[in-house]
Amino acid sequence: MKHTLLSAVFAAAFALPALAGDYVIMAPAAPGGGWDSTARSMQEVLQAEGISGSVQVQNVPGAGGTVGLAQFAAGTAGDPTQLIVGGYVMVGAILTNDSPVSLADVTPIARLTGEAVGIAVSASSPIQTIGELVEMMKADPGSVSWAGGSAGGVDHITVGLLAKAAGVDPTKINYVAFAGGGEALAAILGNQVTVGISGVGEFLPQVQAGTMRMLAVSTAEKWQGTDAPTLMEAGYDVNVQNWRMVAAAPGLSAEQKAAVAADIDAMVNSAGWKAMLDTKGWANTYLAGAEFEAQLAKEIEATTAVLKDIGLVK
Amino acid sequence: MTTIDFLLQGLAVATDPMILLYALIGVTLGTAVGVLPGIGPALTVALLLPVTYGLDPAGSLIMFAGIYYGGMYGGSTTSILLNTPGESASIVTALEGNKMARAGRGGPALATAAIGSFVAGVLATMALAFLAPHIVKLALIFGPREYFALMVLAFVTVSAAFGDSALKGMTSLFIGLALALIGIDGLTGQARLSFGVPQLLDGIEVTTLAVAMFAVGEALFVAAQIGGAEDKVHAIKGGVAMSRSDWKRSWRSWLRGTAIGFPIGAMPAGGADIASFLSYGTEKRFSGHADEFGKGAIEGVAGPEAANNAAAAGTLVPLLTLGLPTTATAAIMLAGFQQFGLQPGPLLFVTAPDLVWGLIASLLIANVMLLVLNLPLIGLWIKLLTIPRPWLYAGILLFATLGTIGINPSPVELAMLTIFGVLGYLMRLYGYPIAPVVVGLILGPMAEQQLRRALSISQGDWTTLWSTPVAAGILIVAALALIVPIILRLRGKGHVLAQIGGDED
Amino acid sequence: MIKRLTATGRRPDGAAFIVAAGLAAGGAVLIWQAGTIPDKGGYAGIGSAETLIFVGWGLVLLALAHVVKGLRGGDGGVPRQAPVPIAFVVGGLLLQLLLLHPAGFSIAGGVLFSMTAAAFGKRNFALTLPIGIVFALVVYAVFDQVLKLNLPAGFLENLIFGG
Repeated sequence: MKHTLLSAVFAAAFALPALAGDYVIMAPAAPGGGWDSTARSMQEVLQAEGISGSVQVQNVPGAGGTVGLAQFAAGTAGDPTQLIVGGYVMVGAILTNDSPVSLADVTPIARLTGEAVGIAVSASSPIQTIGELVEMMKADPGSVSWAGGSAGGVDHITVGLLAKAAGVDPTKINYVAFAGGGEALAAILGNQVTVGISGVGEFLPQVQAGTMRMLAVSTAEKWQGTDAPTLMEAGYDVNVQNWRMVAAAPGLSAEQKAAVAADIDAMVNSAGWKAMLDTKGWANTYLAGAEFEAQLAKEIEATTAVLKDIGLVK
Repeated sequence: MTTIDFLLQGLAVATDPMILLYALIGVTLGTAVGVLPGIGPALTVALLLPVTYGLDPAGSLIMFAGIYYGGMYGGSTTSILLNTPGESASIVTALEGNKMARAGRGGPALATAAIGSFVAGVLATMALAFLAPHIVKLALIFGPREYFALMVLAFVTVSAAFGDSALKGMTSLFIGLALALIGIDGLTGQARLSFGVPQLLDGIEVTTLAVAMFAVGEALFVAAQIGGAEDKVHAIKGGVAMSRSDWKRSWRSWLRGTAIGFPIGAMPAGGADIASFLSYGTEKRFSGHADEFGKGAIEGVAGPEAANNAAAAGTLVPLLTLGLPTTATAAIMLAGFQQFGLQPGPLLFVTAPDLVWGLIASLLIANVMLLVLNLPLIGLWIKLLTIPRPWLYAGILLFATLGTIGINPSPVELAMLTIFGVLGYLMRLYGYPIAPVVVGLILGPMAEQQLRRALSISQGDWTTLWSTPVAAGILIVAALALIVPIILRLRGKGHVLAQIGGDED
Repeated sequence: MIKRLTATGRRPDGAAFIVAAGLAAGGAVLIWQAGTIPDKGGYAGIGSAETLIFVGWGLVLLALAHVVKGLRGGDGGVPRQAPVPIAFVVGGLLLQLLLLHPAGFSIAGGVLFSMTAAAFGKRNFALTLPIGIVFALVVYAVFDQVLKLNLPAGFLENLIFGG
């Protein structure tokens, strides 16, 4: 044991001097969250695979990532060593926080990972299918209370999109925001609310244990680990994925951008990254280049519309 | 196998000499980092977790358990001796503990905290092993309306921390409630009182406020006293160990603290801070020494410290039985489990009994180790008070700012640290209690959100708040706690209350 | 020297009026801000603004109570305070804030350290500043390098730990 500790101390103290191909990755969140662990996983893989000699992670938490994004956009222009991780939550936060800086002010490189949003009820709930749930909403939207994550986040947006697709007034949804996943799960399991909405990963262990029933998932294709239908299959035109991405500094030349994209591509295709995804339980939804940019633009547009419908953005 | 078989098997694994060494290292590291002023247990655990990587699962778990308990105990050490709590749950410990330390009774204060933590840790861990499936049913009964009732009870109890003047206490509480409103309203996403400053959108960090008000405010206050003779701190007066009367006054508080802490900790929206507030209020009411509170009552250290530790074990109930991480530390623990490819959840007791029982046994061992390490060290910790003040406070401020800088090195955060430090100084100067400000910051948003959640679910029907027996029962207790002392006082029978308190349990 | 203010007896308590003014101002800000928030009560009936109004009026009532208390006379004033040590500590905190990013954790922390020591009587900066910087460097080494807590690095840290 002593050995392990000592070697850790020495390894840290005599860390290699800086090499070319260095990166600084900003995690616009406090240590411990999803963006932070994405940034640190990238750090580990980029270094272990020899793609970059030295990678540092910098945390700038605040306001759904918009504090970090603003600092990044202002301070890194033209610097190809600077990266920032972000995600779908940021798209919503930029709009609801009225952020002066948006994703148009950085250079999006690629979508890395993603997770479906799941809709689930307690096993003792009388609701069996997503269709029954939507019928209840149509009859009396207030009677269906939704437990989910923060207001204006991906869960809330998904409920809004579902309501819209089903012809229910999105301003009438009864969305109850919970801060931590634990408390929301307890409220669903204890039948305090009608239905829960959250990342599929939060629900799967409960579903496997038979304490909860998954009604639907939000992605275009079925999600591994559950045979619940997608919202599309159930007849509602909703396709949402809670993704995480990496972006580079604004004002890069085409060559610089291509070099960063090539490094990220090498990382995503490495064995180390695949092993990392497995340990963390993340799904690889890698999408880069023009395809990613088009998808991003589409999602920003849809999100803006639904946030206006819910009444969170004017 | 029965529960007892599993536990014995777990203990057999955990008493291996190598494992004991890991436990000792974990407790030592946890205490060493946790003892730094302004660095709370959550940060300690997060910082030291990587040290456990690379060990086998059993070794890793036990070292983790050691770090966890060591960090918690280390935090209360500096709260007691230096009045610098690094997290919300040790704020009430500082209230009485620091008064004791100033009077030269730091030794007994640290001892009752250590033994209380041990007693609570052992009892709560046993309760976790044997009662978890039942306790968790209770936790699921609690929805927003029940939590709201609990918050009302907590608010009533908090008046115990008001000190001599109700007006000053209420003022402090409302300052905290007002500060709590800064930032994004969690239920609607609406920004409040942020005046366009993006760093304010996330509101005021409890740790920043606590460290500023206590550590920075304290340093300013001590520095500004001309001469400083009247504020002389006695390192030791009387014994370092607990006297017979200390023991007599402590043991009931340990048990009461455990009984409050464990169930509150087990509730998904409970937590160690609420448990410690409730315990402090209970101790003031039932210890029979209410007049000593605010001046260094040992019950005020023994009860909340036990409650704090019991609540920590309580948070493992939803984690292990439902897979719900309900605190920052539990979330970090979840990350620890994931190292072994395990997802804590409803099936964990079935799919990985070795690990679960290994963890429970580890917690017991770590508790013993904590006592073994820390009781002899108390004499050494007290020496902290003999460090010349320029060096002592220079070190305190460096560490106090370290926690803030490490989590969020933004100028706005450091400016808040300075502003609230000055506020804490001024409040001390004019006799306003500090603790209710932090309490208001913690309880305010919880009460507001649970109330609005309950009303949202009931679609605006206020009768929902007392529509279940549990919610109604808690509200009745809160009402009694508020009204009975007033009636007794009006009848001029204040002594009756002390009598009732003395006869209770 | 101590409690010089009490000599005047039960005169109106100036401090209470200042506190009252502060509380009233805070309450007014809360109530004013509540008015700017669009109603989002939704199904709960009470939304983001109601708590602001509740706490705002609470502050106003407490301000009134302080006025009453002030008129009844003070509770004794406060012991005289030394302004210089306060200036040292606050100055140290502000310098740390300003130096943190340009100069790094160790220098900023060392400055805070020496300024605090000065507040408590050790004014020999030639001694306390180097001690503070070395101490902060050790803290940096343990927390940033070993425990991976992200602390801002300056040229000193980059020189020693190679960035």
